[in-house]
Amino acid sequence: MNRKLLAAALALALGAGFTLNAAAQAKPEVLVKQRQAAMTLQGKYFGPLSGMAQGKVPYDASTVARNAEYLHALSHMPWDGFNPSTSGVKSQALPAIYKDTAKFKEAQDRLTGAVDKLVAASKGGNEAAVKAAIADVGKSCGNCHENFREKQ
Amino acid sequence: MRTLRPAETRCALRAIAFALLLGAELGNACAQGDAKRGQYLAKAGGCLACHTEDGKDAAPFAGGRALKTPFGTFYGPNITPHPQAGIGRWAEADFVRAMRLGVRPDGAHYFPAFPYPSFTKIADADLRDLWAFLRSLPPSPRANHAHELRFPFGWRLLVAPWKWLFFRPGPFAIDPGRSAVLNRGAYLVEALGHCGECHTPRNFLGAPKRGRLLAGARSGPDGKSVPNLTPAKLKKWDDGELKDFLQTGMTPDGDVAAETMGEVVRNTTGQLTPDDLAALIAYLRSLPPLPDEPR
Repeated sequence: MNRKLLAAALALALGAGFTLNAAAQAKPEVLVKQRQAAMTLQGKYFGPLSGMAQGKVPYDASTVARNAEYLHALSHMPWDGFNPSTSGVKSQALPAIYKDTAKFKEAQDRLTGAVDKLVAASKGGNEAAVKAAIADVGKSCGNCHENFREKQ
Repeated sequence: MRTLRPAETRCALRAIAFALLLGAELGNACAQGDAKRGQYLAKAGGCLACHTEDGKDAAPFAGGRALKTPFGTFYGPNITPHPQAGIGRWAEADFVRAMRLGVRPDGAHYFPAFPYPSFTKIADADLRDLWAFLRSLPPSPRANHAHELRFPFGWRLLVAPWKWLFFRPGPFAIDPGRSAVLNRGAYLVEALGHCGECHTPRNFLGAPKRGRLLAGARSGPDGKSVPNLTPAKLKKWDDGELKDFLQTGMTPDGDVAAETMGEVVRNTTGQLTPDDLAALIAYLRSLPPLPDEPR
């Protein structure tokens, strides 16, 4: 009986361990797909804001506030997908991501910081400040693409 | 020898009339450039980027930007009219010689990091307007930063044979075989915009490969890859998408260009008039399609 219980506990532990392990080490292809999805969605919710900042789309404070919140979550999502295990998967990610990790982290922080400021500004109601915050987010995207993404 | 255009002929005639009438100053008003037009041309020429330091409070056109190349790091100089730190002591002729011939007022050669192989093509009237604009800037005392070049490239005399081999001075020649729009686009891309300085690959001596015009480079400025602008690559975008990209730095799906081009979009392509932007796009569409460089 005891032995059976032990076996069950062991199986459970192993099983749980196995599941956790699988989550931590998703297949490289999956990681790439997930991080690209996060990037795509950032594009989806940032695009209209950039249009507003440049006067191409009518300014709409409620859309800005909503999208800023979305971006707040999304801007944290891609980064754990840049695992060295993915360096063999075809993508536009440059090797510098894994060589110059400090600079890559800095570029991430610059984005999340700029999005934080955008969220704060979008709660303010000063349109000029919001537009400046949007422009800063755009620059932080471009800053990272500059060094860590293959040009298209 | 260049024939005078009607406007210049008028100008010359008026100058003579003035001289005869007043017996004094030669109609300076006529020969003087238009600073406002020059401001637009300076945007189309993208002067600001290299001639302004990074950072929010940097004085525009006061120099300082670092340009990393395989030959070393170049620093854009101060081109405000400050008499010591900038180009306040220059005459218009000095400016024209710098742009057209790539030589300093003292006769020394500029390194072609200053894109005079493109700027040589700028029309006389445009040079005059650019000069008028530069004179109108507030003088900045910001001192220039010396270039940091690898041995032996810091030796300016080496630029002489380089120019002899690769540099063909002279203003842009209008091709009567193509439309006015395509000629305007070619002028914007090849002369003012100097797009090829990054988008055309270079040989080991740093000269553009003529057969690969605007076909992109695997290792451009700062060792980064630069996209192909010929129809082989650009055909994936329609004119509207290309126009939006060049005005906003973003693709239709919300993707953001890397910051080097993002800056070009903010300072240059996003500032062009709709007609000029359309001409630029039409010209890119007319280029011979070339595949990307093999990896």
